[in-house]
Amino acid sequence: MDLTRRKFLTLLGGSTAGAVLFQACGVPEAELLVEAPLEMPEDMVTGLDTWYATLCSECGNPEGIVVRVMEGRAKKVEGNVDYPINQGKHSARCEAALQGLYHPDRISAPLLRVGARGEGRWEEISWTDAIARMAHQLGQVQDKSSIVLATNPVGGHLGKVVERFASRMGIAHMPYETLDETNLRLSMERTYGLKAMPDFDIGGASYLLSFGADFLSTWGSPVRYARAYGQFRQGDRERGTHVHVEPRLSTTAANADEWVFVNPGWEGHVALAIANVIVERGLGDSSAAAALTGNGAVDLGRYAPERVADRSGVSAERIRRIADEFAGHPPALAIGGGSAGAHSNGLANLNAIYALNHLVGSAGKPGGVIPNPGPPFSDVPEAPARTSYADWRGLTGRMSRGEVSALLVRGANPVYGMPKVTGFEDALLGGRFNVPLIVSFASFMDDTTALADLVLPENHGLEDWGSDVPDPGPGYQAVGIRQPVVRPFFEGRGVHLGARSFADALMGIAQTMEVDLGLEGESFEDVLQAGARELFETGRGSVRANDFRAFWNGALQRGGWWDTTAAYSGPSLSPRQIASAPGEPSLGSGAFALVPYPSIGITDGRGAHLPWLQATQDPITTASWQTWVEINAKRAEEMDVREGDVIRLTASNGRSIEALAYPHPGISPDVVAVPMGQGHTGGGQYDKDRGANVMSLLDSLEDSETGALAWAATRVNIAKTGGWMRVPRFENTAPDLATDEDQHIIKLTAEDS
Amino acid sequence: MAGEKWGMVIDVDKCIGCQACVVACQAENNIPINTEDLYNQRRAVQWIRIERYWEGEFPDVKARFIPVLCQHCSDAPCEPVCPVFATYHNPEGLNVQVYNRCIGTRFCANNCPYHVRFFNFWEPSWPESLKNQLNPDVTVRSRGIMEKCTFCIQRIRRSTRDAKAEGRGVEDGARELNPACVNACPTDTLFFGDLNDPDSKVARMSAEETGEHGRGYHMLEELGTEPNVLYLKKVDKNAKEASHA
Amino acid sequence: MLQGDFQLPKRNKRTVLVLGLLGVVGLVGLAATVAVGAFVLSAWLGLPLNAFGLNDGPDQPIAFPHTVHVQDMGMDCTFCHRAVTTEAAASVPAVGLCMSCHKVIGDGLPEIEKLRGYHESGRAIDWVRVHRVPDHVHFVHESHVRFFSERDNVPASETCQLCHQDVGSMPKVEQVRSLKMGDCLDCHRENEAPTDCTACHY
Repeated sequence: MDLTRRKFLTLLGGSTAGAVLFQACGVPEAELLVEAPLEMPEDMVTGLDTWYATLCSECGNPEGIVVRVMEGRAKKVEGNVDYPINQGKHSARCEAALQGLYHPDRISAPLLRVGARGEGRWEEISWTDAIARMAHQLGQVQDKSSIVLATNPVGGHLGKVVERFASRMGIAHMPYETLDETNLRLSMERTYGLKAMPDFDIGGASYLLSFGADFLSTWGSPVRYARAYGQFRQGDRERGTHVHVEPRLSTTAANADEWVFVNPGWEGHVALAIANVIVERGLGDSSAAAALTGNGAVDLGRYAPERVADRSGVSAERIRRIADEFAGHPPALAIGGGSAGAHSNGLANLNAIYALNHLVGSAGKPGGVIPNPGPPFSDVPEAPARTSYADWRGLTGRMSRGEVSALLVRGANPVYGMPKVTGFEDALLGGRFNVPLIVSFASFMDDTTALADLVLPENHGLEDWGSDVPDPGPGYQAVGIRQPVVRPFFEGRGVHLGARSFADALMGIAQTMEVDLGLEGESFEDVLQAGARELFETGRGSVRANDFRAFWNGALQRGGWWDTTAAYSGPSLSPRQIASAPGEPSLGSGAFALVPYPSIGITDGRGAHLPWLQATQDPITTASWQTWVEINAKRAEEMDVREGDVIRLTASNGRSIEALAYPHPGISPDVVAVPMGQGHTGGGQYDKDRGANVMSLLDSLEDSETGALAWAATRVNIAKTGGWMRVPRFENTAPDLATDEDQHIIKLTAEDS
Repeated sequence: MAGEKWGMVIDVDKCIGCQACVVACQAENNIPINTEDLYNQRRAVQWIRIERYWEGEFPDVKARFIPVLCQHCSDAPCEPVCPVFATYHNPEGLNVQVYNRCIGTRFCANNCPYHVRFFNFWEPSWPESLKNQLNPDVTVRSRGIMEKCTFCIQRIRRSTRDAKAEGRGVEDGARELNPACVNACPTDTLFFGDLNDPDSKVARMSAEETGEHGRGYHMLEELGTEPNVLYLKKVDKNAKEASHA
Repeated sequence: MLQGDFQLPKRNKRTVLVLGLLGVVGLVGLAATVAVGAFVLSAWLGLPLNAFGLNDGPDQPIAFPHTVHVQDMGMDCTFCHRAVTTEAAASVPAVGLCMSCHKVIGDGLPEIEKLRGYHESGRAIDWVRVHRVPDHVHFVHESHVRFFSERDNVPASETCQLCHQDVGSMPKVEQVRSLKMGDCLDCHRENEAPTDCTACHY
C-alpha cells in the first residue's frame, strides 16, 4: 500500500479501521531500498544527468542527437545543436528511439525456429551456437552468389563492413527499401550528374515549387527541410512563397501557400508545361533552355499548358501564372519526389521537375540545389547502394525456382513491402522450402523475421557504434558518429545471450567461416576508429587535436566531424538534354486513384512497434493506431459512407484491404489516400494484426526505364462492408473551442510584419 | 526567483503540424501511452496538441495547424473553481497544478476554455521495461488527478538551480531551460522565456508584435483570460485579413 | 411519599444490566476511537512517536557503524555521500569505495566479511532507506547544503545535522525530524526560502 494522502482519504472515507491499516502498512519495502552498486561510473550518480551525443537510429537520414542519461538509463532525446543536418532539432521519430531501446517485445537472445516456419515457436540459443549453425549452413552452399543479403540502404562504416562481407563471401547484397528511391537517385545523376543527393537550400529560396515530395513530414531529410522552412517562412528575408503540386493534400501541401491538385502521374507534364512557358516567354536562362531541349530536339511545344491542362487537371491559366511566379522570384527552387516519382513515368517526371532548376539558374546556387561533396573517407561509398523493385521481382523468380539458397535480412522487410501480387512470400516459403535458410538480424519481430529460421538480435542504435555520411548532406563534408550512450540493456543476460552489433555479428560469422574481410581490427569499434583516424589526419574540420585519442574523444563529444569549407568541387551542374520526356503514366483500373503515403510517425511501417509513434496523430486526419481511408466528404455522402465505416478497397489485380473511412473536405473526389505502416502479419503487442497494409494490394507496376516500384499508380474500387469501428483520433477529444464570429483560433493576416 | 514571468510566443505561420512537440512532451513529462482505447474514449492526454482546422472545400481547401497548450492565463478561469486550491497562479506567472492537493473534481477542466486540462481516468501504466525511460524529475500522476502543461517546470527548476550553483543567471533561450516542445520544434515555431526581462526574446517579440502592425494575438482574447502565450498570426497573402475558427 | 416527589421509574434488573453494558461498550468505543484517532493523527502530522518505538532505525543488510567512521575516524560526510554538494540525491557510496579501505582493514570482523562477500560476488547492497520525504516532493540536497553552508559560513558536512542530527553518534541511523510539509515550511519561512507549492511539488 502506497503512502499517499489520496489513498489515506479514500480509506478514511471507508472506515477508521482502514486508516489504521494504512498506518500499519506504510511504504512498501521495495520502495525503500537504496542500491549501492559495486562501482559507480560517473553517469550512474543518482540525480546527475549527462547528455551524450550520438546518431538517431529511427530515420532514413540519421539526425544528430543528444541523449540524456541518468543512472545508466536513457531518458530523453534531443537534437544535437552542433550537428549540421538538424542543428538541434529532431522529429517525433527520433524521440521514440527510447521506446525501441526499452521495448517489452525486444528480442533478447538468438532465436532458433522450432515449429513450422511462421508458427512463432522459438528456442533461445547461444550466440556461439547461432553463428556456428549459420556458418555451417552457409559453408555448405556451393554457389555463394545464391546467398542474398538484404539490408536497408546502409551508409557509413556499417555500409563498408556489409559491402566487404558480401564481396569477400561472394554473396549478393540487395539493399531494400519499401519506397523505392531508384528514380530519385537516377534523376539526380541524369539532371545534375550527381551520385549523392544534393542539399536543397529551402531557407535561402524565395519561391519553392514542390511536386509530390512530402518533405515536411517524411521525405528526404524532413527535420533539415523543416528547419529551413521556418527560415523560409519567417526568417531574415522576405517571406517565401511555396506552391505544392500533389494528388493528395499532404502535410506539405497543407502548409504551402497554394496547393495544386494534379492527377496522379501527370506531375512531369505540368513541370514541362511550366518549362514551356518559361522558355516561350524567354523568362529563364536561354542557354539552359537550349541545352535542356537539345537545341530543339525535345519539342517542349508538346507540353504547352493547354495540351497538358485537361489530363493533368491543372488549368493552363494556372500553369502560366505559376511559371511566371517561379521565374520571377529568384532564387526559385523546384523539388520533386514521393508520389511524383512513383509512376511508370516516374523517372521522366522527376527529370522534368529537376530540370526547372536549370531554367531559373538555381542549380548549384544558394537558394537552389547545392551539390554535396564526396565523403572524407577513402573507402566509404558516396551514397549507399540501392536496388529497384524490378531486382526484387527478379529475386522472387529466382526464389520460386529454388535458385536462392539463403536469405539474410537486416533492417529490411520485403514480406511487408512487396505487393502481394508478386507472390514474394509464397516464393520465399513455397511448399518445397524454396529458400532453405532465412536468417533475420532484428531487434523486433516483423513480417519477414517471423518467417525466419534463425533470428539474431541486434543492438539498439543507442547501444551501438556507427557512423553516417549524411545523404543528403548539408552541402559540405560531414560525418556523424554513433556511440553507445548506455550499456546494452540485455547485458545482464550474459555474453552468450543478449543482442550484438550487426557489424560485429557479420565479422564474427566471417571469422568462423575463415573469410578474411580485410578490415582494420577485430571489432566494429576498431573499424570506426580506423575511419576516424583518416579524419584526424586531414587536419581540418570541426575537431582538431594534437593526438588521435583527443581527436576521437572530441568527435564523440560533438557527435561527429564536419568541415564547412569542404564544399563540392566537382564539375558544375550544367544542364543536359532532358533524356526522356514523360509519357503517359500507365495506371491500374478502378474508380479511385489510390495514393498511399508514409505515416508521419510509423512511416513505411518501420516504426509500427513503437507506441509513441503509433499514437502520433496524422496531421491531416488527426487519426492514429489504425489504417484509414481519406475520402472526399461530399463523395462519401453520396456513397453513404460515414466516418468509421469499414470499406474494402479492391485493386484490379484482385487484392483488397479493409480500412476505416475518414471523409474530409481536403481530398479530390476521384482520389482515396491510405497511410502506410500498419497491417503487420508478424510483430509484437503494438503492431501485429493492426490495421491494413496498403502495400499489399498494389499492382505490380514499375517505371518502364528503371524498374522502380510505381507505388502511386494503382487504382481501386471501394465498397462498404457494413462494418463500423471508431476511428481513434484526437480531433474532438477536446470539444471544439467555443467560438463565435469574433473569436477565431487561427487568425490570418495578408501582410507580414 | 522573484520577478520572473514565464511566457511563450507561438508563430502560427511557421507551424507545419509535424507532431515533434507532442511526442517530445510525452517523453519529458511521463505522459502515459495514448492507446487506441484512450483515443476512442476521448481520454487521450496531450499537454500540447496540434489542432487542424479546415477552410473551404476541395479544390480550394486549406488545412491549417495550430499548437494549443495551457495558456498559463494571468486571470485563469480554472483557478477560482478549484475547491481545494490545487490549481493557482504562482509568483512566476505559471498556472500550476499541485498534484497532492488535487481531489479530482474536474471543475477546472470544465471551466477551461482552451481544453488543455486532462484528467487521469485510470492509473497510468507502462510495460515494466518501458519504465526505464521515465523522467525521474517529473511526478507520475496517479488516477483521479488533473494534469496539464507545466512549461516543463522541472527544467526551470533544474536550470535555475544549476545557474545559481555556478553563480550566474539563467540564460535566455538556453536549451536546459526551454520546455521540451520548444527544443524539439523543427521550424522554431515556439519561443519560451521570461516576459519580465525586457531583453529576452519573448519579451522583445511581444513588444514588437502586439502593436497595430504586429501579428500578435491571444487565443480567445475576448474571454479576458490574459494568457501568457502569445500567438502570431498566420500569413496568407490571399486572405483579406480573414480569420477562421 | 409526598405528592409531587420525584419518583424513579420502576426498573427490573435486566434493563439496568443492558443499559450498563451499553454504557461500558460506548465508553470503550469512545476511548478506542480517540486513541486510534490520536495515533493516526499524530502519525499523519508527523509527530515523533518514539514512545511506540516506531522511530527506531531499520535493520540494514550490513550493520554499518557511522560512529566508527565519523567519530573515531573523523571522516567527512561528503567523503562517502559524494553527490550531496552537487546533486539532488546525497547518494550512497559504491561498494568499490568501501573496499578501497576494507581490502586491508577489518580482517575477521563479521560485517566486514559481509561487505567483502558483496564485493566478490558483484552484488549490489540494497540499503534500507531511513529518511524519506513524502510523495510528490522534489528535495534537492545541493541547494540546501549550499544555502546553509553559505549562511553559517561552515563546510558542507556541518550542515547535515540540521535535518539528520548527529548521525555520527548513532549506532543505528534513525530519522529524527518528521520531514513532513509543516516541518519543511517552518524552516522555509524562517529562512525566507520560497514557499510556493511548485518550489517542491512538480
